Parts: sequence; structure tokens; C-alpha cells
Amino acid sequence: MPLKNKIEELKKRKEEVLQGGGEQAVAKQVAMGKLTARERIIALLDEDSFNEYDMFVEHDARDFGMDGKVLHGDGVIIGTGTIFGAPVAVYAQDFTVAGGSLGSMHARKITKIMDYALRMRIPLIGINDSGGARIQEGVNSLAGYGEIFWRNTLSSGIIPQISVILGPCAGGAVYSPALTDFVFVVDKISKMFITGPEVIKSVLGEEISQEDLGGAKVHAQITGNAHFYAESEYECFEQIKKLITYIPWNNTRKARRFEPKEPKVNFNIEDIVPGDPKEPYDVRDVIRAIADDSDFFEIQEKWAANIVIGFGRLNGETVGFVANQPLVMAGVLDVDSSDKAARFVRYCDAFNIPLVTLVDLPGYLPGIDQEHAGVIRHGAKLLYAYSEATVPKMTVILRKAYGGGYIAMSSRHLRADFVFAWPSAEIAVMGPEGAANIIFRKEISEAPDPEAMRRQKVEEYKEKFANPYVAAAKGYIDTVIEPAETRKLLLHALEVSSTKVADRPYKKHGIPPF
Amino acid sequence: MIHPKLDDKNVTAFIPGTIIDVKVKKGQEVKQGDVLVILDAMKMHNRLIAPSAGKVKEVKVKPGDKVRKGALLVSIE
Repeated sequence: MPLKNKIEELKKRKEEVLQGGGEQAVAKQVAMGKLTARERIIALLDEDSFNEYDMFVEHDARDFGMDGKVLHGDGVIIGTGTIFGAPVAVYAQDFTVAGGSLGSMHARKITKIMDYALRMRIPLIGINDSGGARIQEGVNSLAGYGEIFWRNTLSSGIIPQISVILGPCAGGAVYSPALTDFVFVVDKISKMFITGPEVIKSVLGEEISQEDLGGAKVHAQITGNAHFYAESEYECFEQIKKLITYIPWNNTRKARRFEPKEPKVNFNIEDIVPGDPKEPYDVRDVIRAIADDSDFFEIQEKWAANIVIGFGRLNGETVGFVANQPLVMAGVLDVDSSDKAARFVRYCDAFNIPLVTLVDLPGYLPGIDQEHAGVIRHGAKLLYAYSEATVPKMTVILRKAYGGGYIAMSSRHLRADFVFAWPSAEIAVMGPEGAANIIFRKEISEAPDPEAMRRQKVEEYKEKFANPYVAAAKGYIDTVIEPAETRKLLLHALEVSSTKVADRPYKKHGIPPF
Repeated sequence: MIHPKLDDKNVTAFIPGTIIDVKVKKGQEVKQGDVLVILDAMKMHNRLIAPSAGKVKEVKVKPGDKVRKGALLVSIE
């Protein structure tokens, strides 16, 4: 046969695989408001950059009538491509082929691209849209999941791993996204749960819809399992592309450097923060007043919103911002906000991204539910993460820094490299009210007018301790700065810490309180 | 069954505190994000905002009231 004919045959074979699960299944996918796996890859990657592998892989199941059944690509597409020129490895489950169910060859394709991503030290993006394990393949499906989880863990902290949930992701399958760095969900399309509504109903008698149990909003606002929420798949792909610009290809590199840009003039730092420490404000405006081009890429915006995390740039370099949010629950630390910030700090540390921490918090949230939910253990995660991090750490205390919250928020004592405080900073063991009540209990109760005495003592305490100078006198903060100088000093701190050395004693790994 | 965090009709106190200002009246139309009540707690004048647009169905508190955690403050229809 001449080569020309062989090429024709190849084209024919490819053409067949490109049909996915066939016209009917594709129509069903479209009716569900979803793009097909191939459309997703095209929308996500640079034009014409995708190279597919294992297109002709076939399943090897023999039981339950599977023998001879054709499943194109075994329900998953793998390959490599680029996003803004940065190389990425991708897999996308094809729901039109046997519901994207995971059999052994399907899993083997995924683990192949995962191995490739790790070996080449490039980010991995997994698009999940699968009904779950392929029951006909039995325990081989479970083995496949296990192989994926093991690789997720092996790659953790070496290459960025991104999970995109664009359909069902249920049962064991959910653990792969949970082991990765960032999870993206889309309204009405993403569904994630360990046991679905049917099982919950039969075991517990409780009725709930898939959406209310594990829809996009649930994971973006209640569970914290998702990091980015989008209204549409296209919006989701734009978020992924943007994220890729902030992070390095792997843990031996720095994120790509961009052209430095000054913040926009409409973010005047002194106009943002009220002088009265009881008045709230949006700390994201402070970040925008500091960051290049006033650009801030927030992560987990709707979950544990009392702390704000995300990426921005200083002088063109990616930094991770962590900031208490006085606008939400007074900016307290609690179970969820500690967990959220701690994980982000560890992410930045793993991928050579310097940390900028903005402090304004009344402390930890008191309450029976918090204590019983284990706020001690969750709060400790944040202390652990900051203590462990060796990337440059810059801290700016804007207003309140009281008690355990002061220590936890990247204090000098946890080895912040630079601690700046605004003149409005109040750094003390606890708030003036509480402190005065304890220290002067006797004077207050024995005074002819206890309330007047109490107010007087609170004022005295405030005068003496609710400022940055007591901490400055001990060198716990490096300098008290004018708010307008913040960006300039952070840029300088970043510059002088670019050659930072922070050696730690050897250990296999620590035991963080998770 | 709706999780309280996804409830966009009822505004409750996230922590015990004192109501220092009520910005809306029953029957008033509000936009999402409008400030409904100011709650003094955790060293902060916390602005509790409308989770969705609509008409104020009920205002359960007045300035000076001490509220428990989880107490319903304002509901929107």
C-alpha cells in the first residue's frame, strides 16, 4: 500500500476518534449546557498548541458485554499544549464516551500524562467530567483512582496541579481534585460529593438535590473545596489562564516576571483605612493600593471571607497577599479562615512566591462552636505555615493586632523578614476594654462610680498600649511607616530579600496540625 | 434544605453584640450590598448587608438591643 493510502487511513482513524461518543451523546452533552472535552481543551490552550497522545488507546475489559465495545480514547483525552506560551500537560474526561467513566486504560492515560508533567516539571490541568468508576471493570477502576491519588501526592509542591470540575465528580474521584492545588467550579455544571443524594436518601432518609449537596456554590461558599467559581465554562478558562500567569512552572523556578506598573491613582491608601479602629473597610482596596496596576487575583473569594488571599505583583514579581478583612466578621480568625490562609501560605512557600501579610484583626473568634470545631488545631495550622515558610515574608500591621492573632499573622516571632507598622497600629496582648477590666478589676469594683473608673482605666490603657511604639521599642516591628510609604518599602524589602538564605535542620517532613 | 451561608433572605448575627444602628424600615426596597444593621461586636462596627435585593419583610431589632449569636435581625422577601 502506498504511503499516501496509509496516511489516509490514519486520518480516517483519527476522524473516528474525534467523534467521541457519537452524535447523540454529544447532543446530550450540549443539552446539559456543557462543552465537549475537545472544545474545552481548545478554549483553554493557546491556538493550535494542543498535541494529543494515546488517541488510539482501547479498553481491555472483557466482562459484562464489554468485549468488542468501542469506546473512543477510552473516554479521556490527554496531551500537552501551552497557555500564554507556558507549557502545560492536560487531561480531559469525555462524558460522551461511556459517561467519562474511569476504567483501567482510562486511568492509565491519566497517569501517563501525570508522569509526563512531573518528569518535565510542567503544570498539570485535569478536567473532570465523569460518572465515576466503570463498574464493569470492577477493582481495576479502584486501582486506577489509587494510582492517580498517589501521583497527585508525589507531584504536590513540585508542579502546580489544577483541577477543573466540569460535570459530575463523585465518590472516590473527588479525592484527586482535593489533593491538587486549585479547584475550579462552574455554576450549575460542577457537582462534587463523596456519596450522592441517592445514597444519602437510602441510608439516612434525608432528601437533597445534587446542586444543594455539592454544586458549585456549595463548594465555593460553604465547604471551601473550590478555589475559583465561574458562571460559565469560558469564564472558568479565563480564570485558569490568569492563574497560570502568576505561578511558576515548577518549584525550582520563579513565576514569570511582568513589566512593573504603578498602582492606579484612584486607590489612595490613606483614604481607604478609617482612623477609628471600629470602622470597617475593604482590605482588598489596600491591596490594590499597593499592588502593581492595582491588580489583585483573589482566591476563595466567597469562603471564609474574613480573610483575603490571592496573588498580585510588586515590581513585576508575583507575591501572595494574605490580609484580614475587617469588612467581614470584623476580620477575625476562626476555623475556616485559619485553614484557608495556612494552605495558601504553604502554596506560596512551595512555589517561591514571597508573602505579603496585612494585619488588622481583633483576634480569634470566641464561641462554643469554634472551640468544639477544633479552632485550636485549625488556628495552629496558620502558625505552622508561617513558621515553616522560608520565602521572603513581609508584614504590614495596619491597625489592630491583638493577642494570638498578632502572633499568628506573620509576626517577627514566626520569622517574618520585615515587619512594618502604620502609626494607627495597635499591638497589644488584648483589646483595651478587656485588658483594663482584668488589670484594674479591683480599682474598678471598689470605685464610688465603677463605670466612670472603668472608662478612665480603658482610656489609660489605650493611651499607653494601643499603639505601635511599645512593640517598636522591643524591635518586634522594624519601623513605623506612613501608609503612603508602604509600597515603596515593600518593593525595597522584596529587592533585598531576593537572595535570602533560610536554612532549616534536616527532617523528613514536619507534622502540621491537619 | 438550604445551608445558612446560602440563605439570601435572612440576616443573622454572626456573634453576640449590640445593635447600634438600623438603616432600613419594613417595606423598604433594598439592593444587594445595602447596609441593613450595624452590630457592635469584636471591636468593630460590623456592617450587616443585604444578601440579595428585595423588600424588607421584617426588622427584628432596634438600636441598643443586645442580640444573641444567630439571632434573626432582618429578613427580605
